[in-house]
Amino acid sequence: MSRIAPVSTNLVVQVRNLAKAYGDHVVLRDVSLSVPEGSVTAMIGPSGAGKSTVLRCMNLLEKPDSGEIEIDGHLINAGAKVSARNLAALRRSAGMVFQHFNLFPHMSVLRNISLPQERVLGRSREEANAKSMELLTRMGLADKADQYPARCSGGQQQRIAIARALALGPRVMLFDEPTSALDPEVGVEVLEVMKELAAEGMTMIVVTHEMGFAANVADELVVMADGGIIESGDPHEVMSDPQHERTRRFLRAVLER
Amino acid sequence: MQMLQAILIGLPMTILVTVLSLALGTVAALPLLAGLRSGNRLLWLLSRGIIDLLRGVPPVVWLFILYYGVSVGALRLTALQAGVIGLGLVSAAYLAEIFRGAISSVHSGQWEASSALGFTRTTLWRRVVGPQAWRTAIPSYTTYSIGLLKDSSIASTIGVAEIVYMSNQYARQSGEGILIFFIAAGVYIALSLPLGILSRHLDTKMRKVVAR
Repeated sequence: MSRIAPVSTNLVVQVRNLAKAYGDHVVLRDVSLSVPEGSVTAMIGPSGAGKSTVLRCMNLLEKPDSGEIEIDGHLINAGAKVSARNLAALRRSAGMVFQHFNLFPHMSVLRNISLPQERVLGRSREEANAKSMELLTRMGLADKADQYPARCSGGQQQRIAIARALALGPRVMLFDEPTSALDPEVGVEVLEVMKELAAEGMTMIVVTHEMGFAANVADELVVMADGGIIESGDPHEVMSDPQHERTRRFLRAVLER
Repeated sequence: MQMLQAILIGLPMTILVTVLSLALGTVAALPLLAGLRSGNRLLWLLSRGIIDLLRGVPPVVWLFILYYGVSVGALRLTALQAGVIGLGLVSAAYLAEIFRGAISSVHSGQWEASSALGFTRTTLWRRVVGPQAWRTAIPSYTTYSIGLLKDSSIASTIGVAEIVYMSNQYARQSGEGILIFFIAAGVYIALSLPLGILSRHLDTKMRKVVAR
């Protein structure tokens, strides 16, 4: 997949010295990460490496013990008290897509996408619905607007969840294992949408086990293990010539199975 | 004929006591619920203690305490007031537990999605968690309401003129003891059946809407 290299080197996301522990159990140790505008960063690594935790710390679904997070100019320092206004601004800048979709089961697909726009951006019902329909059409799901999420397949639900996050106009999209709960064939639908987003220049951070996506779509590959980043760089270089023994072991496990 | 009349006179009072106690219980359950969900250990303990106290003492004892026991200065509760407050407070304890269970049945992902989307707490509760928890709570809530409808007869012990009280009076005056109680039983069934049917209807309807 050919991509136009990001024109500016404006950093949309900066994470500095993130650390977190549950009691004695260290989940993150000194994680730092910069994501330029328009780039796709894939985060891989074994389970329990802390990939999802880093992502969830970025919009403060989990609170790091120390470190700094800056998204689109909104700075949050883990040590200081987080103001509600700053938190809201940060979350507005970052759209999140979950492994289990987390759509609202008691609302129609259209309401799922429109309600956040009305509540968070203050759009009118008509404006919100128009935006929602535009996104659903793009996802090929316009006919599902009046259905309830449970009547949609997993792949459709995940695309609806992506539309819900996109509707708020985020500067960066955070994907937390978006295809892990899906059948491989269904996961492809979701990956296609993600590829399109990447091609359109959306800044994305993707925690994934999809090596094909990581290799072909990502600009930057980040390998995590035991709560830290052990290696990062151009996906093809990292995959063909891993510098770290732990990376080699992980890649052997996922690529040569 | 007089028999039916006695019951019909008691019927509005039965309904009044039930509806008022349920309303009071539902409203009073909310602060207890907040306490149960509070991260503050003291508030939690306070709520827990009140709930266990309310549930631990038989309703009839609460009514006696409120009716005969509360007479500080000019304050003296009428039988109806004591009945509604007593049954309402006991209901609050049970309903708080029902609501707590219903809320914890809402998937944690719903909270996460709401936070990630930047919802305020009001939006989270009114649009996301509240409606889903309420759906889960409906069957238990109506079951409790039906129970309360029958328990409202406890208020007869302090002289609230509801169905059982009126039946009792009639039985004593007329000397024909048992028949009126069978009729009273029939009236209770006639009242609770539609409630049960309504509840099941709501439940299946809501499930159909969201289910696959």
